[in-house]
Amino acid sequence: MAVSAHRPRILVIDDEPQIHRFLGPALEAAGYEPLRADTGTAGLAAIAHRAPEAVILDLGLPDMDGREALVRARAFYDGPVVILSARDREIEKIEALDAGADDYVEKPFHVGEMLARLRVAMRHRPHREGVATVVAAGELRIDLAMRLVKRCGEMVRLSPREYELLARLVEGGGKVLTHRQLLTSVWGPANAGDVQYLRVFVGHLRQKLEPDPAAPRHITTEPGVGYRFIGD
Amino acid sequence: MAQPERLRSDRDSSGNGAGYVGALLLVVAANVISAILDRYSTGADLAMIFLAGVLVCGVAWGLRPALAGALGSVLSYNFFFLAPRFGFRIGHAADVLTFAIFIAVAAATGWLSGRVRDQARLSSHRASALTALLAASRRLSAAATQEETAQVLAEQVSAAAGARAVVMLANGHRLRVSASAPGEALLTDADMIAAQFAWDKQVASGGGAGAQPAARFTFRPLIGVRGRAGVAGVEVDSWAGADDERLVLAMLDQGAVALERAELAAAMVENEALLRSDKLRGALMNSISHDLRTPLSTVLGSATTLIDYDETLKPEIRADLLVSIREEAERLNRYVGDLLDMTRLEGGALKTRSETTDVRDVLAGAIRRVERRLEARIIVRDFPEELSPVQTDPGLLEQAAVNILENAIAYSPDGLPVDVAVYEDRRSVVISIEDEGRGVARTDIERIFEKFRRLEEPSDRTIGGGRNNGAGLGLSIAKGFVEAMGGRIAAASPIHGDHGTRILISLPKAPEPPHPTISDYGRVGA
Repeated sequence: MAVSAHRPRILVIDDEPQIHRFLGPALEAAGYEPLRADTGTAGLAAIAHRAPEAVILDLGLPDMDGREALVRARAFYDGPVVILSARDREIEKIEALDAGADDYVEKPFHVGEMLARLRVAMRHRPHREGVATVVAAGELRIDLAMRLVKRCGEMVRLSPREYELLARLVEGGGKVLTHRQLLTSVWGPANAGDVQYLRVFVGHLRQKLEPDPAAPRHITTEPGVGYRFIGD
Repeated sequence: MAQPERLRSDRDSSGNGAGYVGALLLVVAANVISAILDRYSTGADLAMIFLAGVLVCGVAWGLRPALAGALGSVLSYNFFFLAPRFGFRIGHAADVLTFAIFIAVAAATGWLSGRVRDQARLSSHRASALTALLAASRRLSAAATQEETAQVLAEQVSAAAGARAVVMLANGHRLRVSASAPGEALLTDADMIAAQFAWDKQVASGGGAGAQPAARFTFRPLIGVRGRAGVAGVEVDSWAGADDERLVLAMLDQGAVALERAELAAAMVENEALLRSDKLRGALMNSISHDLRTPLSTVLGSATTLIDYDETLKPEIRADLLVSIREEAERLNRYVGDLLDMTRLEGGALKTRSETTDVRDVLAGAIRRVERRLEARIIVRDFPEELSPVQTDPGLLEQAAVNILENAIAYSPDGLPVDVAVYEDRRSVVISIEDEGRGVARTDIERIFEKFRRLEEPSDRTIGGGRNNGAGLGLSIAKGFVEAMGGRIAAASPIHGDHGTRILISLPKAPEPPHPTISDYGRVGA
């Protein structure tokens, strides 16, 4: 629950009044201050004037493509943006994530899930290029400063590429990272389309880190979109 | 249509009677003139008079009449005017030279003028062939379908060849007669075999060609830019002529290209239809995704909010969330109902009952069903006190009316009336439902009964303020139901200046009212 002094403002941009009807009270109950916008234009204006701590953006807006709204917002806003969409087409989600969205939630959704994604997106924003941390996930200890990975107290040997990939995932802190984002940052822009590389390396990481590589708990797959690292 | 002139091989057409008669007359005239000159003047060179006659013969009628004229001139000149007169004996050796010159002039002028005439005739024939080709080309390019193109080609070839012509198109690898002119052509087995031979081997065949001579037609493959387009046949008897053949071949080339073009055009239309149906399927998927998920999101979101934050929520918010769950469940139910109705209509599984029905009862029921959604709008009824019954399915009619009313409510601003009126003319009972909403653009009025129309113009989505019903199926279903009951439905907009929409449903009256007309309805305002 929220610190009472400052309630973070969350802007919800959605053209469906019913969504505002429950998301507003839910956000309020969770200790946020909900702001409402019904169109992309109104949403962009609200981002500019009210500087919300985070934005929940529906991809299916009447006046502009949700992705367009995102690109325009990203020109002057670098706070967390969580995508909300009734459309379940992977392409749109991937485009939105590549265009700078932090995460997505598919309609219909549980409010708890929505708020969890929002919290993750907000928590990791300030630490983006921040201090090195030690991340714990089950029996794993990952020291990003020392570039060390331990499992049940024992050192795990990773190749440089495997470590880079793991580090990117861990830095994501629970956010989904698209194939393209991972490939670009670990292998370079020339390899942005080589999803097969990524599969192989994720497979290696799971072999070395997961208690049961066939049912991964730490490095999870978002089918068709990318991967997430689930810490403690 | 230009009918190409048939070319006769007639270099000596002047060899017919007229030329010789003319030559004879000229010789007589030369004799008369010479006789007159001979009497009144001396020393005139009468040979020149005869020579002039021969020259005229050659220019006017060609070689043979000119030679005949020359011969006549030689004989009569010698007989009448050269010494010894009135005898054919030649007095001076020099006269033989004169006679030779007569013959030479006749031969030269006759031959030259014959050639000039032939060339003139040839060029006029070429001009008419060109005109025919141009006309064929114009008509071929105007033809829209393959069948039409084939018909035009058959007519033009028939005219050019002066014989019956057929155009055959391939259906897979089997040829069939697609067009013929003049009239219907019955092909024998030998003809069909020859045609198939021309198609398979891509050579001319049939009578008049090397292969398959048993056929009555000469068949030629129509070879276009991309390959075989068909086969054209021309009946053999009564047609020949190398020039005609060239013209026909040129037409066949044109025809082949035109047939190809028509085929490509047809393929394009088919492609577009496929694209459209793909687009419709896309719209359907989009619609189901959006229109089922949005209410589901509200139900799930409101329910989970209630579960997760039960204690922190204010009582009025809890109540509102519960209401929204109920409303969205109802919306989902309506939408699922729409989809089922649509499926029934499209699948042909719609069974209509036919009952003697009072339309006012049905409308009252429909209005009751939408009353809860009215909010600040009012429904103004204008029902007559007496109304003929109709023979219809009251259930379907009520659903159609509900759909139209819901649409009117969704698109009309709060506080404005929705008018529901009933009247009758000689044959039908007419229901009119009018709203004072923004209306529909004149160009779109035909399309409002199309499925998923709303999705094609997503900006409309905000108009109903989210109260909007489903995927834009409502009016489409209403139309389907009304037409299934044998009625008609139409829309008009704008009706009040620049806004408002009116939907009219017209239902045929029951043939013989089995009961006396019911008259227990007055004018009621809702």
